[in-house]
Amino acid sequence: MAIMFRGLEEDNYDRQYTDLQLYRRIGDFFAKYKGQLLAVFGMAFAASVSLSIRPVIIAAGVGAIDQRTEISTISLLVGALLVTVLVEYFGNWVRRRIAARAIGGVVARMRKDAFESAINRDLSFYDTNKSGKVVSRITSDTQEFGTIVLLSSDIISQLASVFVLVAILFSRNAQLTWIVLALSPFIVGGSMVFRHFARITTRNGARALGLVNDNIQESVAGIAIAKNFRQEAAIYDKFNEVNTTSYNVNMVRGLVLSLIFPVLNALAGIAFGVIIYFGARAVLAETVTADTWYLFIQSVDRFWFPFITLSAFISQFQQGLSSAERVFALIDAENTLNQTGENPVNERLHGEIAFKDVAFGYKADEPVLNSFSLNIAPGEDVAFVGHTGAGKSTVAKLISRFYEFQAGDLLIDGQDIRSFDLQAYRQQLGIVSQSPFLFSGTVRDNIRYGRPDASDDEINAIAHSIGDGDWLDTLPNGLDSDVGERGARLSMGQRQLVSLMRVLLQKPSIFILDEATASIDPFTETQIQEALDLILSQSTSILIAHRLSTVRSADRIIVLDHGNIIESGNHDELMAQGGHYAELYNTYFRHQSLSYIENAQAYFSNGHDAPEGVEPEIEPEAGN
Amino acid sequence: MSSEFVVQSAYNKQPSDWRSPAQYVFSHIRRHPFVAIMLMIGAISNAALAAALFYFIGTAYNAVIDWQRGQITQEDAFAVVIGIVTAVVISQLIRATLMFVRNYAAEMYGQRVERDVRDELYSNLLGKSMDFHDKRPIGEIMARVTNDVRELNLMMNPGLNLIFGSGMFLIMPLLFTPFISWQLTLTPLLFMIGYITAQYQYVSSLHRVAQDVRQSFGEMNASLAESLDGVEIVKGAAQEDSEINKFNKLVDYVYGKFVEQGDIEALYLPLLIWGIALVAGFAHSLYLANVGSILPGDVVRFMGYLSLFGFPVFVSQFAFSQVALGYASAKRIVSILNTETTLDQNKGGHNEPMAGAITFDGVSFHYDEGKVIIHDVSFNVEPGQTIAIVGQTGAGKSTLTKLINRTYDVTEGSIAIDGINVKNWDMQSLRSQISIIEQDVFLFSRTIAENIAFGVEGATPEDIERAAKMAQAHDFITSFPEGYQTVIGQRGVTLSGGQRQRLAIARAFLTDPKILILDDSTSAIDSATEDKIQRAIWTAAEGRTTVLITHRLSQIRWADHIVVIKKGYVVAQGKHEDLLQSSEAYRRIFARYENPTRAAAGAPAPQAGD
Repeated sequence: MAIMFRGLEEDNYDRQYTDLQLYRRIGDFFAKYKGQLLAVFGMAFAASVSLSIRPVIIAAGVGAIDQRTEISTISLLVGALLVTVLVEYFGNWVRRRIAARAIGGVVARMRKDAFESAINRDLSFYDTNKSGKVVSRITSDTQEFGTIVLLSSDIISQLASVFVLVAILFSRNAQLTWIVLALSPFIVGGSMVFRHFARITTRNGARALGLVNDNIQESVAGIAIAKNFRQEAAIYDKFNEVNTTSYNVNMVRGLVLSLIFPVLNALAGIAFGVIIYFGARAVLAETVTADTWYLFIQSVDRFWFPFITLSAFISQFQQGLSSAERVFALIDAENTLNQTGENPVNERLHGEIAFKDVAFGYKADEPVLNSFSLNIAPGEDVAFVGHTGAGKSTVAKLISRFYEFQAGDLLIDGQDIRSFDLQAYRQQLGIVSQSPFLFSGTVRDNIRYGRPDASDDEINAIAHSIGDGDWLDTLPNGLDSDVGERGARLSMGQRQLVSLMRVLLQKPSIFILDEATASIDPFTETQIQEALDLILSQSTSILIAHRLSTVRSADRIIVLDHGNIIESGNHDELMAQGGHYAELYNTYFRHQSLSYIENAQAYFSNGHDAPEGVEPEIEPEAGN
Repeated sequence: MSSEFVVQSAYNKQPSDWRSPAQYVFSHIRRHPFVAIMLMIGAISNAALAAALFYFIGTAYNAVIDWQRGQITQEDAFAVVIGIVTAVVISQLIRATLMFVRNYAAEMYGQRVERDVRDELYSNLLGKSMDFHDKRPIGEIMARVTNDVRELNLMMNPGLNLIFGSGMFLIMPLLFTPFISWQLTLTPLLFMIGYITAQYQYVSSLHRVAQDVRQSFGEMNASLAESLDGVEIVKGAAQEDSEINKFNKLVDYVYGKFVEQGDIEALYLPLLIWGIALVAGFAHSLYLANVGSILPGDVVRFMGYLSLFGFPVFVSQFAFSQVALGYASAKRIVSILNTETTLDQNKGGHNEPMAGAITFDGVSFHYDEGKVIIHDVSFNVEPGQTIAIVGQTGAGKSTLTKLINRTYDVTEGSIAIDGINVKNWDMQSLRSQISIIEQDVFLFSRTIAENIAFGVEGATPEDIERAAKMAQAHDFITSFPEGYQTVIGQRGVTLSGGQRQRLAIARAFLTDPKILILDDSTSAIDSATEDKIQRAIWTAAEGRTTVLITHRLSQIRWADHIVVIKKGYVVAQGKHEDLLQSSEAYRRIFARYENPTRAAAGAPAPQAGD
């Protein structure tokens, strides 16, 4: 299925290579294996020639009986047949061994190159390209390409054997050879017609099966509901219906597939009849010898099957080439970041950030920031608030140097951000994203990720500095607990805690937090906030806040609207102004306040007396 | 075997055998004896007629030789040739027909086995209780019901079809050769022994390395996917080089396994054995013909018979691996079928309207020996009360609530509803009076109205709308162009967690359970949504016993009873005021709210407004 829809799934970094470029590129990968390739084709040719002269030897042997020949002639023929058997077997043995190494080596090289390219792309690359699709280029496309190359060497050896055989046949009798050749189009044409029908019925079959699988997926996912409401029987009936339909549709496909080889065999049977007939006539007319006739009979089905495989192979070959093309496109993908220098970064940055008339848009015609200016002092904690699309995370991403901006300057400690060595710069950033990501391994490995040299003692100390290490009790093995793939064995809250620990260990100059919106139990929440407080006290912090407590702990709140700073100040000042921030508060943060919690029962229970639209009042909460 | 659901299907009349994978597959094969007979007839006659072709060719050859030796006239020889041509064409057309019968019968087997096994597995899964389903990820069950069932199909066709069909090609030369000369049977006999031994060794050595190849490829893929999914962290921590090193090592390992497999495949011995058999047969038959004990046409026949071995030599590698895959799948399927589930319908148990009092008395629970999930939990809920269960993810909160409607059974202690042990309630009566709204609300790909009325017979559109209004869902439902008739999942209609939750609450208003269990872990992005969710839940809680698993401080604050759970133990319980006294952890939560700026103490910059 994946193959069928491939063509529809173009990515923006895909490019069209000319055939010449493509072959040249493939050639470059194989350049290292020139000798091996020569050996592969040499062996393939030797094996095919041996295979093709086998019927000649057998026919000669049968012909020799008639002349009551010496035993030495027979021994010679038997010896010759043995040689062809051995050459064919060992030729193929050597060919396949070498091919596995050469092709395996090329595939490995392609995978390494493709991964190196992928991991070095900007994050903007991953905004538009799902990582799953990139993964499939690195593993599956390379695999498919390798398979095609291997198949090519098989096909070439088969075709070589056909050509050798045809040459031998022509040298014996041209007329009979033409008859044999004239029959081939029927076989090849027949197999092509079948491939057409097979494709249609296979698609229908796959669709019907898809419906069954969807049905099962839904039933299994919803089984708890079905059981709660005792709906098993109704669900079963629906399943039974699609399952039976799928059986019927797939039987049609089965009918077509079951017919292919019988029909080809029937055609071959007729061909045998034709050759026996014309051959016998030629023998009786004394234009060919009996053993030549026998040679032709032996050859009837020898060279059709290579043609049948070839017709199937051509479309597969195209797919293999486009697989290679996709891998090359990934290897050749370019970054948009434009680092002008590779200045080593100071031992430790102070964390002063200055935006000067910065302009930026994810797409050229949709600006997000226009002439954006902002100064952030070393050690300052700044929270950005605003509606979706106001530009909060854009500011954070520009500081992380994940994107290139189009105009203006962005200075860190007074130096142009473009002039830094990127890796060295990022080592001074601590980034926690909205859905914290962990790598499979232990909790300890994950905390250590940004600073591989950290000692166990350091990690223990940091882990115990939050909530007296209370959170470790909830893990099965404390710091040595396995987090599972992508951290799946930990709860969202625990993942956040681990990410914050990672930053605490790293002690970055600049801390960038895109706060998670998921709801977390109040106990873990309290510990997350403790960890946050600690980080805020150590670094310049850029906070994209979703929690009231985080906003309130910032030194300065910047209210963004369509990429412009429209208000700035701390919570109490801004609330007092009663402007945009107060409105945002009422929209996003009101329900996190103490007065909301304290008044919930009064507002919502007992027949929900509070009329629609009347909201719980905004209490001046600060400072008490 | 106990089951919560039993289906009356045709496959129950002749139950399949679950004792072992082989017996299981065989019991499905036995179900269609007619198809088996067709398959056998097709396979045997196909091979026999393939051999007959060479018999005919030999006859024609002999006739021509006889004419050359002057033993018959040209007309006679030509007449024989015409007869042979007719025989060849007719026999090969019959052969093609029978080959089709064989293929079609095998295909029928494949499809029927797939259909039947899927049906059997599906109804078996429906009958299994939730303790089975909750322990298994959906992906794993899907893999059994889709991939493994498919493998059984392919095991029949092409797998067993080719093994049986090509097996006949191994036997035919042995049956036809004695008609030429019994001495000549030596070569096919030795070939068979050599072939079977070599094939067996090849399949087993390839099986091992193929597994390594798959596994190493899987590891590479998983590690790659993780590195790229976490690319932001990789870059943020400047760890690109170490990721590249890690990946390169895995690639090299895959390469090594690939070459290993290539070497084994290159060495495919049956091919050489076949070649040697051709040479030996050639020498032997030439010798016999030369001394005049067989005719030249017999050599033609014999070499033709030996060429039949090519079919098993070329296809068996593929066919055996197909059967091996199918066998492994059958093993997994049988293991699912045989998994015992503990609960049954308990028809005739207690069957009365509930008042809604819940009593936990020393309840412990574990799935597997040794890994206890709930430890000695006791509490009491009066009818109509609201109880909040609080604790970290994985503490055992939802397991605790699932013991109430017997999704699982307690291992120790007891749970009573209205004073009657849940085990003594009729399952139908118990579950229909308890509603569970899970954290991830599942909706069927049907209309919104059907989802709300799921499991409620005869709900009118008015009932549905009233329930939706009480659940604060009416507004967002009517914002869709098709309103209540909107099909979920179609044309990009997706619902947020909060909206799904409110649909489930609307469903609860219709079913009107006496006990409502609500896993409320949805977060609201904005305050207006929060208002709606709160209002819906408070309304739903009225007049029924409500068990809330919640992170919402406002609900915890006002619950009649709060149970704090940590790693399966109750660490504190009581009302809000009691907990402020008794639990340090609980006090900390509210302390932050009392004095929020304390949080930022220690920050270098001065706090305005302090």
